[in-house]
Amino acid sequence: MEVQRVDMFIIANGKFFESHQVAIVRDRLLEVDDSKWAIIQTLQFKNPTTMLIVSLLAGSLGIDRFMIGDTGLGIGKLLTCGGLGVWAIIDLFMIMGATREKNNEKLQTVI
Amino acid sequence: MIATKEFDYEPGEHESEKASNSYLMSLVAIIAGLPLPIINLIATFAFYMGNKNGTYFVRWHCTQALLSQISMLFVNSYGFWWSVSIAFTAEEITNKYIAFILAAIIFNLSEFIATVYTAIQTRKGKHVTWWFYSEITNLICKANK
Repeated sequence: MEVQRVDMFIIANGKFFESHQVAIVRDRLLEVDDSKWAIIQTLQFKNPTTMLIVSLLAGSLGIDRFMIGDTGLGIGKLLTCGGLGVWAIIDLFMIMGATREKNNEKLQTVI
Repeated sequence: MIATKEFDYEPGEHESEKASNSYLMSLVAIIAGLPLPIINLIATFAFYMGNKNGTYFVRWHCTQALLSQISMLFVNSYGFWWSVSIAFTAEEITNKYIAFILAAIIFNLSEFIATVYTAIQTRKGKHVTWWFYSEITNLICKANK
């Protein structure tokens, strides 16, 4: 794809990925064929900050995990009331990273 | 005891954040299970497992945090159950018990201060290594090939 187009994508969506992954994502996008641009444009990435707020408010019910697509972990968290509070606290620290990882996985499946 | 060294590479913003969180994990988990000495270890272990596929910098600091919590577990568990036996059985408070509890408090306090300091420095991207623990961490945690 064109450099300008890729850079525009990175500026708009860079915050949805891990900082150390951004350079790799950019390189991968440059190699991708122009025909995939339409699909890439339609991808909806989850905002890590929103997930952190969800985790803060409904973390013990596992809603945060459901939202990022970890249904199994979400059910586990729901049934154990957020791992008796411990898991919910751990996820407060992990959910932003997990969201960025999921966003990267989503992009990788397309490109 | 604590030294700031050069790491193999310059860690990114999110890497530093994750590495710092591994230390914070043990402190925050105290809220969830203060009387039980194992909760901190469980929380740090869960965080370690969550980041086992992470970058070298993150894994390294998660391992160091985990090792520090493991060493705390022995001291705290012994002190906890000794206190329980004094509270609920006929056992009495002895000089040995007081000495042990004092030593445990000093150990916990120094570990707490070191953890807070390391969390702050690691967040800035600095590679903080602890005496003894860092050597073991180097043996356990290897860079991605």
